[in-house]
Amino acid sequence: MEGLIVSNVLLWMLLLAVAFVVMGLVRQIGVLHGRLAPAGALMVDKGVAVNEPAPQVTATDRHGRPVNFGYAGEKSQLLFFLSPTCPICKSLLPAIKSIAREQADRLDVVFISDGDMDAQQALIREHKLDDATYVVGPQVGMTYQIGKLPYAALIDKAGTLRAKGLVNSREHLDSLFEVEHLKSATLQEYLNSQPHTHDHSHGHSH
Amino acid sequence: MHTDPIFIIASALAIAVLLASAATHKVRAPARFAKQLADYQLLPDSLVRPSARLIPVLELVIAFALLVPACRSWAALSAASLIALYATAIGINLWRGRRDIDCGCAGPDQAQPLRPILLLRNSVLVGLALLASVSPIVRDLNVFDGFVTVAASSVALLIYAAADGLLANSPLLLKLIGR
Repeated sequence: MEGLIVSNVLLWMLLLAVAFVVMGLVRQIGVLHGRLAPAGALMVDKGVAVNEPAPQVTATDRHGRPVNFGYAGEKSQLLFFLSPTCPICKSLLPAIKSIAREQADRLDVVFISDGDMDAQQALIREHKLDDATYVVGPQVGMTYQIGKLPYAALIDKAGTLRAKGLVNSREHLDSLFEVEHLKSATLQEYLNSQPHTHDHSHGHSH
Repeated sequence: MHTDPIFIIASALAIAVLLASAATHKVRAPARFAKQLADYQLLPDSLVRPSARLIPVLELVIAFALLVPACRSWAALSAASLIALYATAIGINLWRGRRDIDCGCAGPDQAQPLRPILLLRNSVLVGLALLASVSPIVRDLNVFDGFVTVAASSVALLIYAAADGLLANSPLLLKLIGR
């Protein structure tokens, strides 16, 4: 009887340890997913080509002031396409606002939306976007052929479209600026254009 | 129906820890929880904030009540109905087709979209809570029974955490392999 109890206690201990290890493995996989996710904003293969002059269009913001897109100017422009009915867009707003604050000296952030004006007002109130440039209307989205939201496009000082893509996270947004530094259309393209470093390391190891 | 107290106490303990950890996540980031609750679009805007305050308190009260033998049975029943209520909220939003909102099921670093499998998860939890509400047969409990109870509930919690992690990872994995 004593032996059975000892064996039972031992089994429980080992089972606990195994369950703990499994949970640890799952958490590590989660961390890996988190690191893998920022592979870059997804390019939707249509619309305006990256590294080409951005289409020039002028729209009026919600106060009736004209906003120019795609013209050469003093600052780069970040176009953020959103909709009041899209939860992911709302979750990205704090990230967009912090980017706008950090890079205020070199970047103009323009929010572009379409649809019901009351919902827009509620969104603006909720996220304190009163001072932001906020354009409501289909014009810009149609010019840039935006099919999915939340979408962002980065236009540099010279009026060239530097990066664009579907953005679902802060990392995706950051990747737009990353590709601007790397002078490639997308992060994927940059990685593909790199010389195959692992081939070299094989050569040295012999 | 009479069941050995080990099953009942172990499942009560597991549900109590689960509710308490859920409540601490909600208490630590009230703004995030209020946002998740608002995203479910089930309550009028004026009620979102008070309910976001009330729900974690309710969860904590039930969690503590589960540990007291005298009120374990009703606490387990309220836990079962609370979890069933969450499942209904998920079900309604699935039916509305709003799959892209955050489930708000577990912790801050495990945002996951709504999927039917979450209903299965919640029904397993409801089953566990209902098991905890059964009245046990009366027998003396010794130290070894206590050990088995604690060990069983910790194994259940660890496996639950692992399964929940797998659930949260699966949409990310699908995204990776491009489905």
